[in-house]
Amino acid sequence: MLTKDLVAASSKPLLLSILAGGESYGYEIIQKVRALSGGQIEWSDGMLYPVLHRLERDGLIDSEWKEADTGRQRKYYFISADGRKVLKTERQQWLTVHNTLSKLWKIKPVTI
Amino acid sequence: MADRSQHVKQIMENQTRYNLNAAIESWRQELAAQANLTAEVRRELETHLRDTITGFQQRGLNDEESFWLARRRVGQPQQLGEEFVKADPAKVWRERAFWIVLMLSIVKLWFTTSDYLLRQINSAIWSHHLAAPFEWLYEFNIPLFDFYLTLLNYFPILCLLFFLAQGRMDWVGRLFQFIFRSRLQFVLTALALVLVFDFYSDYSTVGVMAWPRALWFFQYCSNFLFNQICLLSFIFLIAWLMPTQNRKTPKRA
Repeated sequence: MLTKDLVAASSKPLLLSILAGGESYGYEIIQKVRALSGGQIEWSDGMLYPVLHRLERDGLIDSEWKEADTGRQRKYYFISADGRKVLKTERQQWLTVHNTLSKLWKIKPVTI
Repeated sequence: MADRSQHVKQIMENQTRYNLNAAIESWRQELAAQANLTAEVRRELETHLRDTITGFQQRGLNDEESFWLARRRVGQPQQLGEEFVKADPAKVWRERAFWIVLMLSIVKLWFTTSDYLLRQINSAIWSHHLAAPFEWLYEFNIPLFDFYLTLLNYFPILCLLFFLAQGRMDWVGRLFQFIFRSRLQFVLTALALVLVFDFYSDYSTVGVMAWPRALWFFQYCSNFLFNQICLLSFIFLIAWLMPTQNRKTPKRA
């Protein structure tokens, strides 16, 4: 399991990356993160929404209430143009960290 | 006999069956007690809780187990409130200010209208001597009739607040939804309302229509601005404070 600090630090690139793949809503985002990390990254449900709202306030994502197939109203989030730019920067920064650690630990580096 | 025992068993099962809707309603009330959570956030969290419950139910858990696990995952209402304040401390106060200003505007608009109506009622009563049976009260310095008229002024406002607090006025919510669809829609609707009330009140009391037409327009505009400056300020303040989310369909990247 990841430390609390690392979970908090990685929440922004993770959310932006998920939303770059298409619109999504809170419950689905949590399920995706859980599945992608093999259960290693466990976000508390209550923690997700303040982060989403902060990203929305910063203009990195937008939201819209829509009716789902089940008839239930859900708030869908999607990435904005600014969000895509920030995601690009975040990606470079995280890959830099990843590559540095990869070299130190003698793991094959990833192309940025 | 067998049918009867089957029926009794079914009734007992129904009585002990877990009421999921009541449990969600109770959770919703706990959430509503958190002043830090806006109405939209509460709605979003409720959708999340319902999605989580459905997820557990699909895994074969019963209603009660699904609810308690989902509730645990979403978090304690108080804790949720604190998380949201940390994320955006100003937003909560912005929304509170919005509702305060909105209520003040409704009260001001109502009193502007009702003062005129009560003046009309009062003059009709006195001109037709309908208050004669109560005149003796004035000899004892008891302005009971005026008191009733004043009460009539406050009564609708008190009723509105009472029913809103009870959550029994869905149509008010629908009306608000319509008016607050966009800033422009709100400003135009509010201005039209104020204009109608102001015009009706001014026209009836001052008789401005008697003035020359060109002069009347300018006179009316300056009167309107002067008389309704407070209400107009409220309208623009409300438009500025309006919750910014989901007023329009956002552009996708």
